[in-house]
Amino acid sequence: MIANHPVERADALVVGAGIAGLQAALDLADQGFQVVIVERQPSIGGHMINLSKVFPTLDCASCITTPRMASTAHHPNIQVFTYSEVDSIRPVGDRFQATITRKPRYIDEDKCIGCKRCEEACTVYLPDEYDHSLGAKKAVSIPFTNAIPQYPVLDMDECFLCGGCARACPTDAIDYLQKPETFQLEVGAVILATGYDMTPMDAKSQYGGGKLPNVISPWQAERLLAPHGPYGGVLRPSDGKIPDSIAFVQCAGSRDASLGVPYCSRVCCMYAIKQAMLLSGSLPIADITIYYMDIRAFGKGYEQFYQSAKAMGIEFVKAKVGRIREDEEHNPILRIERQEGDSAPEEVRHDLVILSLGMVPAWIPDRDGIVPLQTGSDRFLLSPKPRISPTLTTLPGVFACGAATGPKDIVDTIVEAGAAAMQAAAHLQRTLAGAAK
Amino acid sequence: MSEIPNENPVHGTPEKEEVRVGVYVCHCGGNISDVVDVQKVAEEVGKHPDVKVSKHYMFMCSDPGQQLIMEDIRRNGINRVVVSACSPFLHETTFRKALQRAGLNPYLYEHVNVREQVSWVHKGKPESATEKTIRLTLAGVEKVARQDPLEAIRVEAEQHVVVIGAGIAGMRAAVSAARRGLRVTLIEKSDRTGGRLNELSTLYPDNESAQTVVDELTAMVQSDQNIDLCLNSRLTMIDGYVGNFTVGFEMQSPEGPVTRQIRAGAIILATGYRHYEPFEGELGYRQSPDVLTLPEFNRLLETTPPGELMNLNGRPIRHVGFVHCVGSRQVEGVHQPQPDGKVNDYCSRVCCTAALHAIHRLMDKHPGVRVFDVYRDIRTYGRGHEDLYEEASKRGVLFFRHTEENQPVVRLNESSNGRPRHTLAVQDVLTWNEEVEIPVDLIVLATGMMPNDISGIIQTMKLPVGADRFLQEVHPKLRPVEVANNGVFLAGTCQGPMDAIEAVAAGEAAAVKASILLSKGMIEMDPFVARVREEKCTGCELCLAECEYRGALTMAESADGRKVARVNPALCAGCGACAAVCEPRAIEIAGWSLDQFDAMVDALVAH
Repeated sequence: MIANHPVERADALVVGAGIAGLQAALDLADQGFQVVIVERQPSIGGHMINLSKVFPTLDCASCITTPRMASTAHHPNIQVFTYSEVDSIRPVGDRFQATITRKPRYIDEDKCIGCKRCEEACTVYLPDEYDHSLGAKKAVSIPFTNAIPQYPVLDMDECFLCGGCARACPTDAIDYLQKPETFQLEVGAVILATGYDMTPMDAKSQYGGGKLPNVISPWQAERLLAPHGPYGGVLRPSDGKIPDSIAFVQCAGSRDASLGVPYCSRVCCMYAIKQAMLLSGSLPIADITIYYMDIRAFGKGYEQFYQSAKAMGIEFVKAKVGRIREDEEHNPILRIERQEGDSAPEEVRHDLVILSLGMVPAWIPDRDGIVPLQTGSDRFLLSPKPRISPTLTTLPGVFACGAATGPKDIVDTIVEAGAAAMQAAAHLQRTLAGAAK
Repeated sequence: MSEIPNENPVHGTPEKEEVRVGVYVCHCGGNISDVVDVQKVAEEVGKHPDVKVSKHYMFMCSDPGQQLIMEDIRRNGINRVVVSACSPFLHETTFRKALQRAGLNPYLYEHVNVREQVSWVHKGKPESATEKTIRLTLAGVEKVARQDPLEAIRVEAEQHVVVIGAGIAGMRAAVSAARRGLRVTLIEKSDRTGGRLNELSTLYPDNESAQTVVDELTAMVQSDQNIDLCLNSRLTMIDGYVGNFTVGFEMQSPEGPVTRQIRAGAIILATGYRHYEPFEGELGYRQSPDVLTLPEFNRLLETTPPGELMNLNGRPIRHVGFVHCVGSRQVEGVHQPQPDGKVNDYCSRVCCTAALHAIHRLMDKHPGVRVFDVYRDIRTYGRGHEDLYEEASKRGVLFFRHTEENQPVVRLNESSNGRPRHTLAVQDVLTWNEEVEIPVDLIVLATGMMPNDISGIIQTMKLPVGADRFLQEVHPKLRPVEVANNGVFLAGTCQGPMDAIEAVAAGEAAAVKASILLSKGMIEMDPFVARVREEKCTGCELCLAECEYRGALTMAESADGRKVARVNPALCAGCGACAAVCEPRAIEIAGWSLDQFDAMVDALVAH
């Protein structure tokens, strides 16, 4: 259920409502445990809900995510807090005390009926982070069509306080004076499903430092390919032209010690191949090139997916991309060094370039002082005994899954979420039995 | 086998309420609407007299999409629902639950598959695709208009899980299920636990001792009173259905073989993998003792005395060549197929890092050895794996990359003159595509994974198997550790290549599904099984002769003393073989009656 009011006790706290958190919460709740989910974004669904289609089945991402979102939102054993932060998690005996802050939406959730009239009335346009700034949203808006819950958030930093939304609201739900609300929650187990961020676009000045309009992030590519995307098709951002020549730069944020990301991010080869296939579907005459170091198509059905991309005519070039600049028409020009054959460095022009960025942890609990847990040199959470369970953390009763424990694709994330739910259930069974004695 | 009363008799025709069908056409985020004119479909189907609302929406399966249906049920008196969307495998249950939440019998629902059956297969023909969608949807309307409310079949579930295979995935699954209070029988064919991990000394990337892992998990298994570990055991039978499986096995004991039968609510398959075995002559394998598979090399490395160089039968080993992708990423027409005619076109996921790990262990023990690594792509994807690759480069391992068309070649020589005697030839794309001849003393083939041969279990249980011969999950994201057989779960490498950490996670995920399934004590199953109109049954027994599911159909006496067919709903698979031979139409499948089929066919062929 969507919770609008504080909860004092539950069996388990799940931090993060991306695909990992949703699956872990459902797997616990379906066994009869009471679960509280805390999600920092205004909607559950995580990164996955932003994606177009997913490899290797090419199912639409929403088709996999939204049913889990709906099951979570309607589950009698689950209470969901969105737009809320976990401030701290402290062990108290066998149990944990969590401090949670509900950030103000400036909307009275008890009154709001999700009619969007506030959004229609608002006159302030802002970049839409759901569309990764390719589109616009209002200063008061429901984050996206499938968002759960369907409550708008008012961006107080950008609001003119014109009062238009408050006048338009049929239920008097706009509350300009709403304050953050902090409450305490006691639980027997915690699952951290705090996910990942991508390496920033401006991390590499050699690749334009995020300033070249037609050098875009994989998120933006997902939105261009999504059926309800900002442009209703694949157009390049600088001039709205349909791109004829598109390139992917692999390992643009991974396997690169200069970025502090020496590791492989594990998903970029596959998402680039998938995006390339989708692009060639929507732009059949476009040339699509993937510049790569190694193609790491290691999961079930992934190698076959890679081979079919090659058969579709997507060009795979083993090359290092040293530098990206643009010409006066904003066409990206890549300076590449082919690693196959005997060619000197050359410059290649494309209409649109996608940087295959890597994964970094979204949340470093130890650094943020929220809960003392050990992380690896890669800053992801560390299991002290990964072969007893990869979901253990250095604090008994706290478990982790998904990208919180390292870059991971959706399939591996969902399996690991089940594993974390299993660990938490067994832990709860043991401690609850102990408490009963 | 437990007797289950016929809980699904034909209801008398209730007072006919007005049929009010709601039709919802899903865009499937473009998957359907890019090809099919969904608005036209909604308009055309909306003209059917029974259809009271007809809508199209971007994502029907999303919460707002489901709310649309629920609102129409509550506010507009809709009492039958048709959704034209993806495969029912994905979301039939999703929408049934929405009906239930809105207070409607969940079986008054028809899911029409217009993605796999229309938009994905008629991409270039939007007009006829739209026409086909209209007809299929109208057929769904006709079917659901003739649908009775049905009740789910409920069976009691044994609080017992059988886990087959006591490698790390199976042990982990057993321990997890047991800790949730389930009784577990862990059946292992060999005389020890740990499976393939017993072949390894240390594990990548952190060099944890494999024996430590096996010992710790084994101790957890042995100390748990809920787990019955049965070594030296051979399966003899698997029968029954979800909640009530019977698993028979023969256990070798010092007193001779013991036969046992276990009743279980769920089965977890953790039957593991075997190594790809190269054909004779494949890269010199079995033509020279100097060509080894990676598992063979790992064993050898355990026995060599430490020293600057490796010593093999009195001969110093200076140069070792490693070849990746042996038995993986194979290409049809290039590689020799397996007996089933197929090559292994998949990536085995673990061999790149396993080979690099072996290279480091070799160089740790024998620092004077030079290593040459021949690969297509280095797939060190996991946590800490890339470091092994980086370090190998720094330690002087030379890497050569070939394409799928130009596979490396091994040339064996008898005499050595004190130099490395064999040649590993590779067309190296990193150095001008020239053929490089690498002189080597020893060649190690990084062999891939294949599933263990469990054809007996697969045939008995009719388990789904993928083109890669591994067991096939229902859906990699929706139901990643479940097979289509209810109550049967997958743990570890029987499903596909995994490393130890991944296999353990899969074992826990399988256990959580078993725990969810059995936690309520009762299991609900769909009621799409045979039912008999006893007044029409002539007792001819033709249906019994056709039925392939033991115990599903029996002959019984009716209230008026006639011999009639009777159904055990828990054992009936709803295949319809009985209905096909029943001349008086006395037996039919609930939810799939012949009247419904007649009406659907009429709708499909109508002008």
